[in-house]
Amino acid sequence: MGVPPDGAISAAAERLLRAEREGVPAGPVRDLLGASDIDAGYAVQNRIIEHKIQRGSRAVGRKIGLTSESVQRQFGVYQPDFGVLLDDMVLADRTDIALSRFSQPRVEAEIAFVLGADLTAEATVADVVRATDFVLPAIEIVDSRIADWDIRISDTVADNASSGAVVLGASPKRLSELDLATLGMTLEHHGEPVSTGAGAACLGSPVNAVSWLAREVARRGRPLRAGEVILAGAWGPMVPVTAPGSYLARFEGIGEVRASFIAESKEATPV
Amino acid sequence: MSTHVATDSLVEDLASRLDAAAMTRTACAQLSQSHKISLDTAYAVQRAVAGRRLARCEHPLGIKLGFTSRTKAAQMGVSEVIIGRLTSGMLVADGGEINLGDYIHPRAEPELAFRLSRDLAPGEWNGQATDIVDAVAPAMEIIDSRFRDFRFDLADVVADNTSASGAVIGAWRPIGEGLDNRGVLFETDGRIVGAGSTAAILGDPLRAVTAAVRMAARYQITLSAGTVLLAGAATPAVALRAGTAVSTSVSGLGRVRFTVAGSDSLAGANDE
Repeated sequence: MGVPPDGAISAAAERLLRAEREGVPAGPVRDLLGASDIDAGYAVQNRIIEHKIQRGSRAVGRKIGLTSESVQRQFGVYQPDFGVLLDDMVLADRTDIALSRFSQPRVEAEIAFVLGADLTAEATVADVVRATDFVLPAIEIVDSRIADWDIRISDTVADNASSGAVVLGASPKRLSELDLATLGMTLEHHGEPVSTGAGAACLGSPVNAVSWLAREVARRGRPLRAGEVILAGAWGPMVPVTAPGSYLARFEGIGEVRASFIAESKEATPV
Repeated sequence: MSTHVATDSLVEDLASRLDAAAMTRTACAQLSQSHKISLDTAYAVQRAVAGRRLARCEHPLGIKLGFTSRTKAAQMGVSEVIIGRLTSGMLVADGGEINLGDYIHPRAEPELAFRLSRDLAPGEWNGQATDIVDAVAPAMEIIDSRFRDFRFDLADVVADNTSASGAVIGAWRPIGEGLDNRGVLFETDGRIVGAGSTAAILGDPLRAVTAAVRMAARYQITLSAGTVLLAGAATPAVALRAGTAVSTSVSGLGRVRFTVAGSDSLAGANDE
């Protein structure tokens, strides 16, 4: 397959930006990019992020997606993908989140790494552990600008890895105290577990996922920097959010975080 | 489903069918294809099936719970857990070996086991789970439906002793805090095939203790000190293959393991 022309990249970026602006999901962009062209997907993602930064958003970190083996199999890929976290996507624990802000939201429980040092294209697991200042419990709100989540790999990469927002808990823990792979997670809704898992569900360990990310983004020209917030990937299955209500993610030995969705009006403030 | 308990002769007839399937390692047709049986009749069949094992010099080992995960319960369209009877012949030593030839189409799942600290007559107790159990252990259950293709309805699976076939129990430890969200890693040959949390067991596996005691009282099962309670699965089951090592580790509780001997060609062929 040849490289899609610049016009196709622009058209795909415009389709996704319009869907977000108007709050109406669009058709997939794989007709423009090819269903499996990951590089074309990242070209569209870059275009969208550059556009938002020009409009005043600030990049504060990255998110890693497709970290579970079953999801990779479903997409027919053998590696994760990533997106960019912007400042207006980061929400504080227990603030009200207007559902209307999202199109087809789903929640997943994961851990955020906050970096205290840069990471290079050669970053190993040891480098990741050394560079991590602390980790936080998090609930990622994933969303798709593409109708009915009808996505292939190029669609989701182009759509900023289907990112929406993230709620960060406020109980920082040092990695030196934790073996993330072995720890349990439960995501509760109405007091019932709706998703359960363990750190190992994320590429064997979330540390492995961050190590993959460090090398991948450096190779693509934007290495990880000190201060970045890295959402490392889900510990259990994602759960669709169809009505107002709250979701509590509890992580063994780390802490908990709550995402509270409300119908409308009072919008959560970015932190 | 009718609500009355069927005649003793029908119960014995259905129990014979299930016992023969297990003894000859040959899957049989679902009971529901030929009989409409109530849940109470299904439990009567289960008692008769277990009775045949006890008549072969096994002794009661414990109680297991089924349908303790929301998704599994939803799939079966039930809102309550089910119980099965564990007998001594089902016990597999930690680190021990099973032979595929002894089963029809076995699967394993990672669980927690609790140990009852006192005798309990049916209906006698209605308090805190932590008052009646004194130890917890990482565990695995081997399930092996006696029905073809592992397909069954609710009455079928209850009659079939909830597919109970084997139990591997790790080292017992005193009950500690925070059992409600321990990471569970389920591995075959060191490869992770399930990463879950004990929260998948009714939101807190201690609730499984309460549920087991309640269900045992309903079906007039006397529980004695030392009885093992298998609380339910933390991740989906995996089919067992010959020549593999299966292990489960539970955060803070250690690891339990067994190996699978025999030949894959036997398994599954028994479905025909």
